[in-house]
Order: sequence, then C-alpha cells, then structure tokens
Amino acid sequence: MAQVKNRLTPFFENITFDREDNELILNFGPQHPSAHGQLRLMLHLQQEQIVKAHPDVGYLHRGMEKMAENMIYNEFMPTTDRMDYIASSSNNYGFALAVEKLIDVEVPRRAKVIRMMLLEINRLMSHLFWLATTALDIGAMTVFLYAFREREYLMDIIEGYCGARLTHAAIRIGGVPLDIQDSFITQLRTFLDKLPANIKDYEDLLDTNRIWLMRMEEVGTISTEMALSWGCTGPMLRASGVQWDIRKEEPYELYDEIEFNVPYSDKGDNFARYRVYMEEMRETAKILYQTIDMYEETVKNGQTELMAHAPKYISAPKLDIMTQNYSLMQHFVLVTQGMRPPVGEVYIATESPKGELGFFINSQGGPYPYRLKLRAPSFWHTGILTDLLPGHYIPDVVSIIGTTNIVFGEVDR
Amino acid sequence: MAQHKVNYTQDGGLPVALTSIDKIVNWGRSNSIWALTYGLACCGIEMMASGASRFDFDRYGTIFRASPRQADVMIVAGTLTKKHAEFIKRLYDQMTEPRWVISMGSCANTGGMFNTYATVQGCDRVIPVDLYLPGCAPRPETLQYGVMLLQKKIRANKAGNAQKPKRLM
Amino acid sequence: MRAYTPKDDVQAKSYYTDRYYVAPQVPKQEVETDEVFAADLAALKAKFEVKESFIQVGQMVVYINANDIYGVLEFLRDELTYTQLSEMSAIDWLAKDNTFEIFYQMLSMTKRKRLRIKFFINKGEAVDSVESLFRCADWSEREMFDMFGIEANNHPFMKRILLPYDWQGNPLLKTYPLEGDEFAAWYEVDKIYGKEARDVIGPEIRDTARVDRYDSERFARLGFEVPKGTEITGNEEPNKQDYQEEGGVFLVKKFTKDASKIIDDPQR
Repeated sequence: MAQVKNRLTPFFENITFDREDNELILNFGPQHPSAHGQLRLMLHLQQEQIVKAHPDVGYLHRGMEKMAENMIYNEFMPTTDRMDYIASSSNNYGFALAVEKLIDVEVPRRAKVIRMMLLEINRLMSHLFWLATTALDIGAMTVFLYAFREREYLMDIIEGYCGARLTHAAIRIGGVPLDIQDSFITQLRTFLDKLPANIKDYEDLLDTNRIWLMRMEEVGTISTEMALSWGCTGPMLRASGVQWDIRKEEPYELYDEIEFNVPYSDKGDNFARYRVYMEEMRETAKILYQTIDMYEETVKNGQTELMAHAPKYISAPKLDIMTQNYSLMQHFVLVTQGMRPPVGEVYIATESPKGELGFFINSQGGPYPYRLKLRAPSFWHTGILTDLLPGHYIPDVVSIIGTTNIVFGEVDR
Repeated sequence: MAQHKVNYTQDGGLPVALTSIDKIVNWGRSNSIWALTYGLACCGIEMMASGASRFDFDRYGTIFRASPRQADVMIVAGTLTKKHAEFIKRLYDQMTEPRWVISMGSCANTGGMFNTYATVQGCDRVIPVDLYLPGCAPRPETLQYGVMLLQKKIRANKAGNAQKPKRLM
Repeated sequence: MRAYTPKDDVQAKSYYTDRYYVAPQVPKQEVETDEVFAADLAALKAKFEVKESFIQVGQMVVYINANDIYGVLEFLRDELTYTQLSEMSAIDWLAKDNTFEIFYQMLSMTKRKRLRIKFFINKGEAVDSVESLFRCADWSEREMFDMFGIEANNHPFMKRILLPYDWQGNPLLKTYPLEGDEFAAWYEVDKIYGKEARDVIGPEIRDTARVDRYDSERFARLGFEVPKGTEITGNEEPNKQDYQEEGGVFLVKKFTKDASKIIDDPQR
C-alpha cells in the first residue's frame, strides 16, 4: 500500500551534523517507552554527556482548567480522575477538600476514615506502580511483575468499593457516596499482612543488586536549595533533606490522630528517592492498620453518616430524596444547576503520592468556578530536569526520569 | 528420562501438519501480534496492566515493542492531543505492513470526555482504525477481547494478498 | 430573533439565577487576628506599599503594586522564610475592567504558613519575571504566557509550553470558547494533510448529544451483530460470538468456557 500523502517533513532536516563544536542533538520522545508518558526531551550531547536539556511537555494537554470553568463543581469531579491517573482518589480528594473549605462544611467522621483509607490505598498503588515502572526501565523485569501483582490486589479492593479499577471518582464533595463493602476490611487486612514480606522481596532483589546500585547511587543528585527553588514536593523534596509532609505539617482529615513517621534522606540522589518510596510504603501500611481500627470504632459508636449535612450545597441522603419533597427539590436544583459556593478564593494543598497537589479555586458565586488552577507536583518535577540532566550520561536520563515519578496527565493537565 | 505420552494423531500433537499457505501464515501473524507501546494516558496504564502478571499478554504472543518498525499493531491507548497528532501519523507510517490499529478507550475513539480545544476528536481523523474499544478506561479484559477479535480478523484475511488500503482520506 | 450572547465572555453561564439572589461571601478576617501573619505584614508594609490585605480560609492575601513583585518575593524569600513558590498564574478580568489579576502562592515551611501575593495589570502589560528568584517560575510564567498571553520581562525563554509553538490564541481567556476556534478545529488536519483535505475528512463532531441514525449499522452491537445494510428491527437472534471459528484454529487449542476455571478470590 502506498503511503497516504501527507505534509509532514522529515524530522531532523534542520539539524546539521557537522557542527564545529561536535555537539549532537538527540530527540527523546514524545513517545518513548521509558519516558513515563509523553515527555519529549531535546538533549544536547557532547559525546555521551548531556550539556543541555530541554524538556518539552504539553503532549497530553487536554484543557482541564478550561473544562473546569465550563462545568459545575460536581461535574468536574470525574475529570480530576484523569489527572494523576495512577492514584485517582487523591485528586478527587484534593478537589473535594478545596470546595469543602470554600463552602465551609464539615465531613462526618466515618466519611473521613473511609477517605483516608482510599487515599492511603491510592498511595500504595502509586508507589507500587512507581517501583514497577522504574525497575522495568532499569531492566528489572521481575520487580515489575511482582509489584503489578500486588497492585492488582489493591485494585480489586478499590473496584469492590467504587466499581472502577483506575478512574475511581470515589469521593464526593461533602463526604463519600457509599460505605465500604463487607469484604473490604478482611481483604485489606490480608493484603497488609502480606505486604512487609512483599516489600522485603523487592528490597532483596534490588538493594544489593550491583546494576541497580550503579544506576541509582550518586546519580541525579538534587540539592536542598535546588529542590526548594524548583518547587519540588513530596518524596522528591524529602529525599533532598527536607522533612516536609503536608499530612504531618498541615494535617487534614484525621491525620493528626494517626501515628506515622515521615521518612527522609539528605542524599538527594536516585537511591535516596528509592529508599524514601520504599519506607513510605511501610508507613502507609501502618496508617492503614490504624484507619481500620478507627473505622471499627465508628461502627461501634454508631456513626453512620457519610455525607455532610448542608442542604444549600449538598444533596440529602438517597432515602430523604425518595421520601421528602423538599429534599427532592433541592436535589433537582443541585443536579441541574449546580451548587453556588460563596464568592471567594481558596488554595488547598494536599499530599498526593507525587507531592503537593493544590487546587486554587476562584468562585464568583456562580455554579461554575471562575478560575480553577491545578497545582500538580509533577509539573515542576519535570521542570527540574532542565537543571538536573546536564552533566549526566544518556543512560542516566532513564533512571532520573524514573525516580522523579512524573505522570503526564498531571504535568500537562 | 520421563516418558511423555504424546498422541500424535490428536490436534496439536503432530510434529508434521498439512495445511495451506494461508493458514500457516495467518497462524503466525495472528499469534505473534507485537504491539507498539503507545501508552498516551490513563488507558496506557491499563495496557501495562494487561501486559503484567495477572493478565499476561504473552499468552497471545502479544509482546510490547518499543519501536514501530518491529510492531504489527498500534494500540492507541489514551487521549490524542492536537500537539501529538503529527507523531501518531509518523509512527503509523513507520510501521511495516501488514499493520493494524486498535483504538483503546473513549478518548482515542471520539475524544471522549475531553471535548476541548486541545483534543483530537477521535484518532481516526488521523490514522485508519481497525478496532474500537469502549470504556474509560477499558479494563484489561476488554483489551484482551479486542486482541482476540483482531486475531480472528487476521485469520479471516487471505494471507497472500497485500493488505487492502485502508480508507482514511 | 437570536438571543444575544456577549462575545467578551463565552464560558458556560448559569441559565437561571433568581433576581433577588445575593451571593454570600467567604468570610475574611483581619490580618491582626493571626500573630505570624501580622508580623509578616508589618515587615512587608515597612518596605513596600500594600494596597489591601486580609486572611481568607487560613491564608493571608496581600495586594501590592505590580512593579514591586520582584522585590516583594525576594524579601519574602530571604527575610520572611517564604522559601517556596507553590504556584503562580493569572485570572482573566478583561470582560469586567480590562485587567488581569496575577497571583503568587507562597509557602513558608518553618512557619507552616501560606500566603498569596496579588496584583492587577492591564491588558498588554507584562509582569516582571521572578525566574531568577524561584526557578519554578520559569515554567509557570511560560504557562501563563501560553494560556493568557501575558509576557514576563527578563524571562530566558518566553515561548509556549503546553501548546505547540505554532498555535494561535490563548485558551484560558474568557473570549476563547471551550471547544476551540476555527484554527484549533482544523489544526491537526492542516498540519498533517493540508488544507485541501478538510473537505475529505470533514468537520469535528463536537455535539455530545448527537445521534446518528447510521450508528446502529456502523457499530457492532455485541452479541447481536447483523451484516452491514440489514435493517435493524430490534428482535435479532443472538449472534453467539466465539473467539475461535467453528472448525477450530490451526495449531491452537480450542478454548471452551465450560472447561475454564473461575477464581473467586484472587488473593487466596
């Protein structure tokens, strides 16, 4: 078959290869198996060493901020799923929390506990996925298969709760829609009981592996100043010597009632980030055990409410809608026209698995946000590649991109 | 040495098989559909999951390849944006024939929920598509079913003939 | 007669608002209610002109002059320990009074406080780049340029970041429709196949509620497929779809559903 005629010109016609400074320009992406999505890097090379890196993003720009201006608040919730699609619930939560602060409602305790469970399960899923893909990029196929196996178990649990594997939309503004299913706790317990052994398996495979160490140690070192200046958050910042976790420092939900440590390292290299991720998985398991206890406590105390009571903004429970006229009318208005938050602005940051996920909402009293800015951590974790890559060699690019844990739904939004 | 009882007369057990060229070529093609790793967005994660431990695509001979020149099928998994559109065309042109395209997920089918300025409303505006998988994101089972249907489609073709030009324009 | 729609703001609007509806306000507190913020504001006021300041949802908002922004952020970073610029972008008020509102979201890790610096600029004016103070502003300002067309002075690489370099229009302006303008609609067709292909490929289908009467013929209805062109009555016989053909597949083991084992608990 003759190729369909098109107007695309050969890609590198504008690059001269006989430049005097011996510099080669390498195009990396936008479709590269180890770029974790659609990252395009223009690398200026001297021999194999990078002298200048120019990350080009936007290949997954889908116009989410524009969509938000044209959607009522509840309508936008499923769109947030597609931002950081490795851990959807954390985005749902960030948005829900920002709107809740705007309309000033208090979420019932049981909903808070369920939310925390979902968030931490998402964190585990994200970290397992990070481990799998990074190990795959470095060449460790076994870890990929093991970590995906565990991730599938978690997805089963989540699927039992909300019906979706990847895009959960499991959190609503004002609470959660459902109570957790009967098998949730037992399944989660079974999983958590096995998790330490599984994490030890990965560590046995990687920690003393010579290839892994050579690709990780002393590669991609980010100093504290650089991390702060580039707006790094989450594990990227913690691996660079700043013990900053929003769950600890500005606690939201019930994180102030939970005991956990914030692992950090002052090395700042790839290996430090790997260690931070592994330790965070252990801490997350610890948090999940405590949330299970908290959940059982709420069951004992008979706290069954799942949605906040704020008839102006949030629909009544299903039973009320079906039995009471006023609730039905309220529900109809909220669904067809949307809630109208007060005039004002809010910026709320939450600790997503990747870092600080912030939602800036400017409301003008209408059912549509006037301006919604998504502060996605991966955006700056990609930006730092500009300063981080020069001086490294080509093979290091893959391991550095791997440990920055960038997700392009979030970078480009 | 262990003695395995092989029933040479049953299907699959015979070291010599008589068949037509069509069948043997299509057998080879349909059972070694190498897919291009073309994870664009969320569906790409489900595509990885289908390649990983539980869903194990290697059973179908579907192995993900990083280069379009080694791939038979392009699984467009995720949102195709206007900025990326030219690259999908480039990669499709680089694939060797016979080649197939699976459009995975709502975004690749029709633009899906992203009815915005930056999204191509369906990757079939740029390249011809053989199979559309619904879902946002489709489960790995959906992709499995899609690959099985594609195998069936390949087997239905005459292997000797050149692949029919697919109409896009 | 067609209803008049304002062209300076084409975003979705509420179709009904009660005449007597007065939107409530998110409460604002005096800065003096918080000791840390009060001290910071006093230090800031000593050096720069502060137009307005208040606390909203636990964060201080400070309005300053547009020219002071570099000095203010430098002062915040070096003297008041606001070491991180979390976010910066703009809000489009062109329809209202022809201005943009720029905001800088700052974080102090030692004080555990967040504050927001804001100022207004007119259309066509540029902001001073703070890229040399915070490297992350490099990308934020490029994004702002991409989305609003606001340029930053002294920026090392003032180009589009999320959209392609040859894009036209700034998507987050209120005058830009969600579904894009004429240029956006044909962008990929023009680029790949050329303008003459527009007629062949056809316009984008943007109407989400569109029903095509041929859809039921073009798309297989799983389990009830009929050959193309057959009239669909709705009472079709179920068409049992097997993955393998009736006579079996050459060299491949026949798959039967009955012989397969279904695992109830994958975590067993």
